[in-house]
This record gives sequence, C-alpha cells and structure tokens, in this order.
Amino acid sequence: MMRIFVSKDMASVALGADSLAEAFASAGCEVVRTGSRGLFAIEPLAEVETDEGRIAYGPVGPNDVSAVLDGSHPARIGRIEDHPFFSGQQRFTFARCGVTDPLSLSDYAAHGGWKGLETALGLSPQAVVDAVKASGLRGRGGAGFPTGIKWQTVLDAAADEKFIICNADEGDSGTFADRMLIEGDPFCLIEGMAIASHAVGASHGYIYIRSEYPSAIAAMREAIARSATKIAPFTLEVRVGAGTYVCGEETALLESIEGKRGEVRAKPPLPAVEGLFGRPTVINNVLSLAAVPFILAEGAQAYAEVGFGRSRGTMPVQIAGNVKNGGLYEIGFGVTLGELVNQIGGGTASGRPVRAVQVGGPLGAYFPPSMFHLPFDYEAFAEAGGLIGHAGITVFDDTVDMAHMARFAMEFCAVESCGKCTPCRIGSTRGTELIDRIVAKAPRAAGTLETLPQMRNARTAARSHEEEIDLLRDLCDTMKHGSLCALGGFTPYPVLSALDHFPEDFGSGHALTEAAE
Amino acid sequence: MMSTDERLAYMADQILRNFASRGQEAAIAATLDHIGQFWDPGMKSRAAAMPDAPGVVLSDGVRATFMRLRDSQPAS
Amino acid sequence: MTFTREKDFGTPEATGEAVSLTIDGQQVSVPAGTSIMRAAAMVETAIPKLCATDSLESFGSCRMCLVEIEGRKGYPASCTTPVASGMVVRTETDKLRKLRRGVMELYISDHPLDCLTCSANGDCELQDMAGAVGLRDVRFGFEGANHLEGCKDESNPYFTFDPAKCIVCSRCVRACDEVQGTLALTVDGRGFASKISASQGEGFLASECVSCGACVQACPTSALIENTVIEKGTPDRAVVTTCAYCGVGCTFRAEMRGEELVRMVPWKEGKANHGHSCVKGRFAWGYAQHRDRILNPMVRNSVDEPWREVSWDEAIVHVASEFRRIQNSYGTRAIGGITSSRCTNEETFLVQKLIRQGFGNNNVDTCARVCHSPTGYGLKTTFGTSAGTQDFDSVEQADVVLVIGANPTDGHPVFGSRLKKRLREGAKLIVIDPRRIDLVRSPHVEAAHHLPLRPGTNVALLTAMAHVIVTEGLVDETYVRERCDTEAYGEWAAFVSDPARSPEAIEELTGVPAADVCAAARLYATGGNGAIYYGLGVTEHSQGSSTVMAIANLAMATGNVGKPGAGVNPLRGQNNVQGSCDMGSFPHELPGYRHVSDSVARAQFEQDWGVTLDAEPGLRINNMLDAATDGTFKGIFIQGEDILQSDPNTTHVAAGLAAMECVVVQDLFLNETANYAHVFLPGSTFLEKDGTFTNAERRIQRVRKVMEPKNGYADWEVVQLVANAMGLGWTYTHPSQVMNEIARLTPTFAGVTYDVLDQRGSVQWPVNEAAPDGTPTMHIDHFVRGKGLFVVTDYVPTDERTGPRFPLLLTTGRILSQYNVGAQTRRTPNEAWHAEDRLEIHPHDAENRGIRDGDWVALRSRAGETTLRALITDRVAPGVVYTTFHHPDTQANVITTDFSDWATNCPEYKVTAVQVAPSNGPSDWQRRYRAQADQSRRIETAEPAE
Repeated sequence: MMRIFVSKDMASVALGADSLAEAFASAGCEVVRTGSRGLFAIEPLAEVETDEGRIAYGPVGPNDVSAVLDGSHPARIGRIEDHPFFSGQQRFTFARCGVTDPLSLSDYAAHGGWKGLETALGLSPQAVVDAVKASGLRGRGGAGFPTGIKWQTVLDAAADEKFIICNADEGDSGTFADRMLIEGDPFCLIEGMAIASHAVGASHGYIYIRSEYPSAIAAMREAIARSATKIAPFTLEVRVGAGTYVCGEETALLESIEGKRGEVRAKPPLPAVEGLFGRPTVINNVLSLAAVPFILAEGAQAYAEVGFGRSRGTMPVQIAGNVKNGGLYEIGFGVTLGELVNQIGGGTASGRPVRAVQVGGPLGAYFPPSMFHLPFDYEAFAEAGGLIGHAGITVFDDTVDMAHMARFAMEFCAVESCGKCTPCRIGSTRGTELIDRIVAKAPRAAGTLETLPQMRNARTAARSHEEEIDLLRDLCDTMKHGSLCALGGFTPYPVLSALDHFPEDFGSGHALTEAAE
Repeated sequence: MMSTDERLAYMADQILRNFASRGQEAAIAATLDHIGQFWDPGMKSRAAAMPDAPGVVLSDGVRATFMRLRDSQPAS
Repeated sequence: MTFTREKDFGTPEATGEAVSLTIDGQQVSVPAGTSIMRAAAMVETAIPKLCATDSLESFGSCRMCLVEIEGRKGYPASCTTPVASGMVVRTETDKLRKLRRGVMELYISDHPLDCLTCSANGDCELQDMAGAVGLRDVRFGFEGANHLEGCKDESNPYFTFDPAKCIVCSRCVRACDEVQGTLALTVDGRGFASKISASQGEGFLASECVSCGACVQACPTSALIENTVIEKGTPDRAVVTTCAYCGVGCTFRAEMRGEELVRMVPWKEGKANHGHSCVKGRFAWGYAQHRDRILNPMVRNSVDEPWREVSWDEAIVHVASEFRRIQNSYGTRAIGGITSSRCTNEETFLVQKLIRQGFGNNNVDTCARVCHSPTGYGLKTTFGTSAGTQDFDSVEQADVVLVIGANPTDGHPVFGSRLKKRLREGAKLIVIDPRRIDLVRSPHVEAAHHLPLRPGTNVALLTAMAHVIVTEGLVDETYVRERCDTEAYGEWAAFVSDPARSPEAIEELTGVPAADVCAAARLYATGGNGAIYYGLGVTEHSQGSSTVMAIANLAMATGNVGKPGAGVNPLRGQNNVQGSCDMGSFPHELPGYRHVSDSVARAQFEQDWGVTLDAEPGLRINNMLDAATDGTFKGIFIQGEDILQSDPNTTHVAAGLAAMECVVVQDLFLNETANYAHVFLPGSTFLEKDGTFTNAERRIQRVRKVMEPKNGYADWEVVQLVANAMGLGWTYTHPSQVMNEIARLTPTFAGVTYDVLDQRGSVQWPVNEAAPDGTPTMHIDHFVRGKGLFVVTDYVPTDERTGPRFPLLLTTGRILSQYNVGAQTRRTPNEAWHAEDRLEIHPHDAENRGIRDGDWVALRSRAGETTLRALITDRVAPGVVYTTFHHPDTQANVITTDFSDWATNCPEYKVTAVQVAPSNGPSDWQRRYRAQADQSRRIETAEPAE
C-alpha cells in the first residue's frame, strides 16, 4: 500500500487538503496527515513515499490522484528538501513540521523528540538555564529579551509555586508560525515547556491560545493528553484567549488567565518575580519555547553558531501579503530584507514593483526598497526605526496608499486598546480623526466652541496642514513614550515610518496650505 | 409576667445551674459570691427574706442560697 | 484648622530597609519598595499624577507621572517604579513637560470645559494638573469623538455620577475593590468606549454598591461627588473628629463652610479606619440638622398631658427638686440613671458621678447591659480586663479568623472591609452564625467553614471545638504552662474532654455536622495566628457570659492571646460603648472597672468628690424597672438611650416607666421612651461638643466641636446644671478638665490628656507610666489578672423553648444602612435602603404557612405580638426567622422575652420562640401603642414672651 503524506494544517485545509487526503484514501492509499511544510504556493501538497524518499507533488487536487500515483503529474516537485524554497532554510525549530504525524508519539521520538528533555533532566536547573543563556536565544514574541536571563530570574525567585506560560495568542496579521508549530509539532512545544519547568522549578503550565485557532487548540489538548506521563509531574493545560489583541501582551494575558478583564499591568513587578497569581512566572512565546529542545539536544553552541550580531540562532520568518512565495522560512538571523522579499519571496504576486514592506506585524514599521539592505537583526531594525517583532513581513506593491495604512494602524490601536492608559485610549481615536483630516486635506478650523467670545484662550485661526502633521508627530511621540504597553507604544512605528518614507501620500510637498485661510 | 420575688428566685436558680458542674456546695458558694458582687442591697434583702416568708416556693438550691444570704446579711 | 487637602503621597507606604537615591539633585532616603512618586512627595516634589492616590496600589494608567532615570531607557512611570539605591531621577525636563502636556491635551479633548460652574471647581485634580503642565491649547479641538452625552446617575441619595466628567482613571473601581472589597464597580467596554459602571450598568442605587463613599473620595474630578458639595459648594475649613455611629470609631474630617457641615471625609491618619468609611459615618449625618430635633426643654406633670416648653432654668430646677422630693419620700436608692454610649467619655463620667456623688447610690447602668455586659464579665474573669485584646490593625497579621455571632460587613463595615482585605490576601475564615452572612461568600472571599448552628447553642459548639483541640493534642502546652493557671486548665481540659462534649455528641443539638466542627477546630488551632471576632450573637443569650469565657478558653488553649494577629475581639456596638463601660457606668463598678466594694478605690473618689460613696452595687436597668413596678424605684435620668425600643420585652419596660414619678429623658428627638417621660431635656449632637470616644479597640479619640449646640448646651453642660441644682458645686468649663479628673482617678487612663490626644491623634488604654504610648495589644507577657484563667463553661440551655405554639426561633440583628433603634439613620436618606424591618423566613417555613414574599405577617411570642412584612430567603435556616429592630413601627422587642444572661442579665435577644402567620394589619399592641404615642407626643408651644 502506498503511503501518502498530506498536511492537515488549517492553511492547507483551507486550500483543499482534506478532499485531497480523502481522494488518496479512496484510492486505497494509507494517508498520513502531517503539519504544513510552509510554502503555500505548492499547497495542497501530496508527498508519496518511495525508495528515493518522499516525492512531492503540488499544488494538486482530488482529480490528480492517479497522475500523482503513477508519477506522471506535471506538478512533480521531487524531494521537498531539494526545492529552492527549502534548500536554503535552517530548520532548527520547524524540523519536524510537515514531516511527522503531529500527534504520533512514536513519530516524535523517531525524529529526535524528547532528546532535549532527557538531556535537561540529567542536568541541574542552573545548568539548563546556563545552556539557554549560552545559546543566545532571545524572546521570539517581539521584545527580543534574552530567554535565559528571564529564566534565571524565575529560578532565583523563592516561591511555593511557579508557572510556565506559553503565549500563543498570535494576533499579528500576517503571522502564523505559532499556529503552524502547534498544529504541526505540538510535542516540540510541550517538550520546551517541560524543559523550562525543570529549569525554573515550576509545577504547572498554561498554553494561552487565541480562540480563532480551533484546530491548534484541539491539537494541543490532544497532545497534552498523550504526553502527560512523559512530562509528569509537570502538568499543562490550554487556556483559550479572550478574543482581544491586547491579551497577547504578557501582563494582560496573566490577568486573562486569572479570570479578570484583559488589561495591561504596570511593570514592575515583572512577571518573572510576581506573575500569575502573584507567583514567579516564565512567559515565553511559542517559538522561544519550541527552540529550547534543539538547544538542549544539540547543544547551545550548535544554536549560537548561527546568527548575526547579538541575534543568535534561527528565526522562522513569515512572508505574507502581495508576494509570490508566501510562507514560513526559518533561517539564521542576518539574511537581508531584500533577500527575503525578492529572492525567497520571489517579489510581488501581482508582478508590480514592491513599494513597501511592513515588518513585525500591524505595529511594525514600513520600509521602502531603498532599505532592503537591512540585515534581519533586532538591533539593525531598531536603529532603522523599526522592529522585527514576531518576524512577520508583509509585502505591498506600488498601488498601496501609505496614509491609508497609517490610518489603519491608528484604527487598529483604537479597536484593540484595552482602555487602561490614556495615550492609547484617547490618542488612537484622536490619531484616526487627525489622519482623516490630513488625508482629506482639510486642516481643522476653529470649532463652534473655540470661536465663542467666552473662550479667550482658544485659538480662532485655522490650523495649517504642517501644523496637523506636527500634531500627528507629537501624538506619536506621546503614544510611543507614554503608553503602558507595546500596543500604544508601537502604533507610532507604522504611522511615523509611513510619514517619513512616503510623505507624498500625506499631501506634503503639495500646496495644501491655502485651505487654512 | 413574673413578680419581683419570682424573678429573684429565677435569677438565683439560673446562676446556680451555671455553676452546677462544680457540685452543689461549691455552686451555692459561687452563687452567693456572685449575688454579693452584683445585686443591689434591696434585692439581697428581698432574697434573704424569702425563705422565711409564708407561701414562697423555692428550689432546694435557691432556698439554701437565700438562707445563707440571710445569715450573712448585717442585722438591720 | 483651615482647609487644606490631606497630602497625597500617590502610592502606599512601604516598609523596607532604607534606600538612598537622588531626585532632582536632592539626596533622599526612603524605605525600599517606595515608589519614586512617593519618595519625591516625601521631599515636597509633587510629580504630576491623576490615577495615583496613596490609598490605592499603584496602577500606572494616566501616564502623567513619567520621569527620567539616568541609565534607563524611556520614561518610566514614577508611581509604578520602585526606588533603587543610587538611582538618579529627574522629574522635570523639557521632554517630560512635552509628554505630560501631550497627555493632558488628550484628556481635555474629551472633557467638559465648564470648570467655573463645576461642583469640583477648586477641588479638582484634573484642573490642578492642567495648570501644572501649562496646557494652553487643545490642538485636537473639541469636536472629535467624546463622552459628553453621558447621562448623570443621580440614583444614590448622597452622590452623583457624571460620566462626562470621568477620566477613566479607575480610582473608583480600585477603591471599591481594594479599600471596600465590594467590587461593585467595573470598567465596561474597551478602549475609547471604556466607562465606569456600577454592577454592569444598573445604576448605583440598584447595584451592589454599599455607598461607603470610597469611590467618591477617590475620584480626582467631579465625576463622583457628594450631593452636599453640589448644593453648598466646596468647604473652607476642616475639623478632625470621631464618628458617632458604631464601635469601629472612624475618624473624619468634618469639612465645613462657616457653621455648616458640607461633608464628612474619612481621615487618612485615623488609626481605626485609615481613611475608609461606611454609608453611615460618611453620609448619614443629616439627622443632626433634622427638623424633628427638639431644641427646647419640656416638662409635664403626667404623661397624658401635652408637653409644655419651658426655660432651661425651670427644667433644671424641676428635675433637681423632683429627684430630691422622691429621695425624701422613698429613700436614697429610689432614683437612678442611665448613661449613654452615644455620648462622650466625659459626659458618661459626669452622669455616673452625678448618680454616685449626687444621688448617693450606685443605680447607674448603661446600654452595654443589653449588648456587651457579658464581654465585661467574661473577659475580666478569664483575662483580667473587660475589653478586647487587639487593635484593628492586628487583623493584618491574622492567619485564621473566627467570626462568631457578628456580621461585620453590616454591623462594623469599615472593619469588615479590612477583614475582607486580609481574607483576600489568603487568611482563612471560619464563620459561626445561624445565618449565611455576607462574609460566608462574597466576591473573592469564601469561608473555609460556615457552621450554621441553631441559635442558643454557642456554648455547646465552642466546647466541642475545645474537645477536639484538647483530645487531638492541639493545645499549645508551653503557652498554657507558662501563661495560665494550670490547675484551672486541668479541670477545664478534663471537662471538655468528656465524650458527652464531643462534636458527635452535640451534633443533633447544634445542627452542625461533627466533621465540620472538627475541621474548624483543627484549622483554628493549627492555622497560624488565630483571631476571634465576635458580636452580639455571642453575648445576647442566656449563656452570653459563658460563651465569652468559652471563646477566651479556646484562645488561651491555642496560645492565641498576647500577640498581634490573634486575640479575642468583641466588636462593640455603639460608638462609645467601650468608653461608657470604662467610665463606671455599671452599678457594681467605679470608673476603671473597680468594684464598688473596693475600699481603696472608693476612698480615692471619696477624697476627690468630698462625699461618702455607697459600697453596695446598685440596680441594673431591668432591676430598676422591676423595682419601679414594685413601687420602690420612682425616678430616673436617661441620657441618650431609648430603652423602650431597644430593651427587651417592651411591655415590661413600658410598665416600669409608667410606674415612675419622674422620668427625665435627654435626647435629640422625642424617642419612644419619652412617651413615658415627665421632663425632656434636648440633647446635642457629636458635632456640637468637645470630648472623647473610646472605640472597640480601646482607642481614645477626640470629638471636636464644629458648631454651637442648637439646643443651647452640650450634654455635659446639662449634666453639670442638674448636678449644681442638686447642690454639687461643679465648676467644669471644658471637657478637658473632666478628662483630667478621669486620668487622676483611673489608673488605666493615667496618661491621657487632651494634649496627648492632640499630639498623637489617639491612644489605646491602658495609658500610664508602664505604657506611656498606650497599649495596642494586651496581655503580651502576662495576663492583666496574672495567670490566664480557664473557666468551665457548662452548657445550660435557655429556658425559652420552641414547641407546638411557638415552633420557630427568632433571632435579631441589624443591617448596614440603619443603626440601632434608627433614631439617627431613619432621619436620613438611608431609608432608601431599608425603609422597614422585614422578617427573613426560609422558603420551606413560608410555604408551610402560605406566606409569599412581601406579605404582612404576624410575629408572636410568649411576650407579645407585632406585624411586619416577610422576606423569603435561604440565608436563614429552616426553623429560624430573623429581623432587625430599627423601626419603632415594628417594635421587634415586643416579641423578645425577659430571659437574660445568667451572669449579667444581658437580654436574650437572639433566641425567642415564635410563630409566624399571615396577617392583615397591625397587632392590637401596635394600635394601642401608636395611640398612646400620638397622645404623648403633643407639644404645647410656650406663649412668646411679650
């Protein structure tokens, strides 16, 4: 009987993987459902087990089954590892994703699973923390804080109870790596959390998954059930997100797990000192925790050897938007933005010129092609007025209106704001109103109230376009430095980068001031 | 409603019952002490007069207590 | 004292080791854990802030308080950033000014601009901050999205919520959570749509809100503001004084304009309340100006006649001559008096002095007779002092709290909030109460054990707990050996170990499963610091004194006396009930709890007062009434107590009063007792006099006069007038002189003077050479009586029995919004919450009798009958009914009986066998009483002179 591998990742299913799998089954094949390989252009993908290895065909549909089975189908890719999208990758974290049956313990073990945990259990907690420090692993959620140092704080905190929390509230548009890993290799995350629990002395962990990810929630729950004895006495449970973007902020996430309104907490105290229910808590992103088994299994050195500057190891980059080869690309830090967009991503899907790339989700900065030399590295991006964030990059062609994108950022902030801090709560609404005026080229005239004779201090002259732009910059400054968390604090990135790199979209340079008369 | 005499007898009986586990003799002594500390002279002399008054029905303990009270009262 | 706002340090005090840092070039040393904001405030650097206030944990939402710290990126909020050694902080830079102005510009773009007509004008933090940051232009304009259309919530009678003025700083929500612990307020919605809401948009009055005022106090704008400020304007001076409601003894700033009280604001320095309050102290002070107040003395020959207004002189002379006449006719002991636990220590002292010195007898009693007299007896017997062992702060160190026969969230709400805070922090709770009081389960608080015992079985239950502790070897043997009378302990241990006293043996009697009793006993004995708080559910029983001693036994056996976090703590009812007891209001005790037969103590007073004192105890209230019925007691002076409504078996009280020849009542209002009075002397309120109150934690606090007595005299002056009319020659010109006399004659008060109180704010007695700073925790190294005395507590059941005629047990109590007989609270908008007494009855009992919720029912006991409306609830167990006694129309005490505590005659209010039946209207008694009252209350106004 032929063995066929078809992904059951949510994205693959959306592209028709389920009917493809059924068709193979009807044809008498043994179908193994795996995670996704990560290149959407070749999905739905079928891999046929042969003596030369797994031969891939994609994209293929149910009607292509016989052609695939007899090897005659024109969409024959050959060995997936040899495909140019994959041959350049350094798959440390996503090594098993798309290869194994996600919920098969034997598959997991056969592909190097549990090796990291076994190594860790043979070490003292401090030695495990030291290994993570030596690997140079930094938080993959966006902040880039060294994971080993965070663990050290929790290890050093004396408490009757500690927790490990995995933040899988993946809310940035254009990002999907967390979901792909949870659906494609959940035991990897479990192993990473078990290693963390040993390292810091935690007895219980939570995986906080956003409610929009039903397949990931189901996969995770099943994987936890199947691996319970393997990680005992450590225990895990899934918490389903409260449906708001801000719950992905770690302190709001803590509030949410505690059953309260998902609202950001002021830091300090750090969650590592006073986290969930006031106990020391490790909160890490899915990708940070999933990187840990490799580090323990292969050694910190193996991980740290790859990378650029202070950014060590690999980053699963998610390429999306108007791009030919959208998907997940895991590679060591240092690859340039241009390589990611043009070589790996293959340029725009529309074939038009690239105008802007947003890096780091909806709150990341927009970069013009003139900045494509930037190496993918936390420090380099920060210096250029941007951030890597969760490593989602979204490509836009030359039809994009950047003022509209800036407005979208403010609106996104207004919709997702928890309402706790003033710059975000009021500022995002004012920002939306302000950009509307700027785009409409209608600077604000004095309002009814301001023109009343009682209002001696109010300015009666209308504002100029430049004054409105200045106000937008001031507002961005207040939000960036004044906001309590990254939602309000990062919203200025897309706004200011759009304003800085694409001033023409904001009407600047044009004679708009006559409206002010 | 109880008469004042009935009430005094009731009060003494209630005090006696609360000291009962000490035994009858000690309970009477404790009750006498309590009455000495907390009852006004008028109440004491009324109580002291009750054992000798015709027609008054008292429990044994209360009678014994009030008799002791009578004997300890200064001759007026 | 002129009006200044209390200084706000922004964040709570910290207690760590000293840390040095530099703020704006100034070297500062503060405890570790202090926020930068607080550290700055300590050196008079006011960092702008809106969401921070020092009564609440820091929150960090307004982003006004950003600072720069050398070596750190960004602009951290000073409220949420703790100090660190060597830190260099700058609070004012160009960048910070710009950021703060930017935030303020956002606030004001969504705020009404009518500051001059705003009720918070001049007392608004938003206004202050706009000034501080130099806001000159709101570049966003005023026509963007806003919240200016929000409707005001005027449902609460005391304060108004205007959402348009709200800046969503969450101070109100946090105050409700952290300070009050009710969690009635939330932030509804998210982002720009966030708004404050009472219990999911119900409006304040209909919500869970208990109207404690914490939110109003916390609000930095006029979003939540007192209606009195809206009506009268902001105050211009403040006087710190002490609340005249319950025994918690909250101190307040009485904020005034001229002689008019604008609002009462809890004082942050107050050691009992630390800046918190309840609906009564905070808001329900309007009775002081109520039109029902009687302001002129009145006299009549018989209670059938209408009252005749007379001059003070005539009234005083009449009282003195009547009392002397009675004494001449019926003997020295034919008159007596009752001191008031609402009045000051000085006034109480003077009333008992009037009786002991002037009447020449010991016929003085006080309302403690009917509430905490068993506490006096029980704690004096076991520990040696008639008072609680701890201060309220002690609860912060308690690990296990046992609440028995008390309902702190209603009866002692400010302490209730502090207790809940400790419980939310993790202390364990045991509740012993027939009713499922709020503490048993409320947001974030749940009792580990609730033992819903049958009323009247306290002693059996506590003895069973002792049985578990002794037989399971949980006794703190070292403590008992070193601190207690071991012989008495041996007898007690043998007594409680008897299998007849095991939880299993008494299960049927108490109705509490044995396993629960065992678990509660083990928790109390082994859970760390164990603190017991109790109330009238302990004392108001025929075994009240035994129950107090059973509690003391438990505490001693587990080593829980003499340290913070533990102890035996009576929650005393009235504001000055502790003080009135301290001041010698009992017929057997001179001030300082010294027996009248103690010749040494008596000699001290005799020398000071120049008279010979009676060495025999006087009459208790109930004995006075008996003696009156017998014709041997003929005159009484009752200051500030309404015995007709508050004392048990109203019929008996009425008969006693009716038999007297001269009943003198001094009160604010024509109370129920005054229906039987011959002389009425108008009283003054706590706002109208100087003096001191002593709260449940023995804390002596000043009462300060903020306005002249509307009736012409403070109560102490009236007592002095009577005394002098009787020839005593008193010459006090200020209550401080009375306190000096108290200190001179009372060893536990030896170090108390008004100067000391003004300097220290308050002190807890004993204050003397051995303890010049007072005594927060008593019995630390040894008990006041020497060795702690274990007392065998036989369970002697009440003689009040249920049976076919009276199958239910009535227990009584009070609720948050009303106070005692309601004389004060019924004359305030507190009526909005509790306009009538209701009978709580279990659904099963109601069903059996065909009673529906809200029906009128007749409540009958062997003593009498009344009617009221039913409230069907499972808070009471089947077989138990409950009501309050706040309303004279109900007269719940018509139902209660003459049964009382064996040792102190404290009435058995908590156990009355009753029957409940549907009813159509008032009972015969109610009708007769109403007619009598109507007739008795007529006032014939004096002819105007000329």
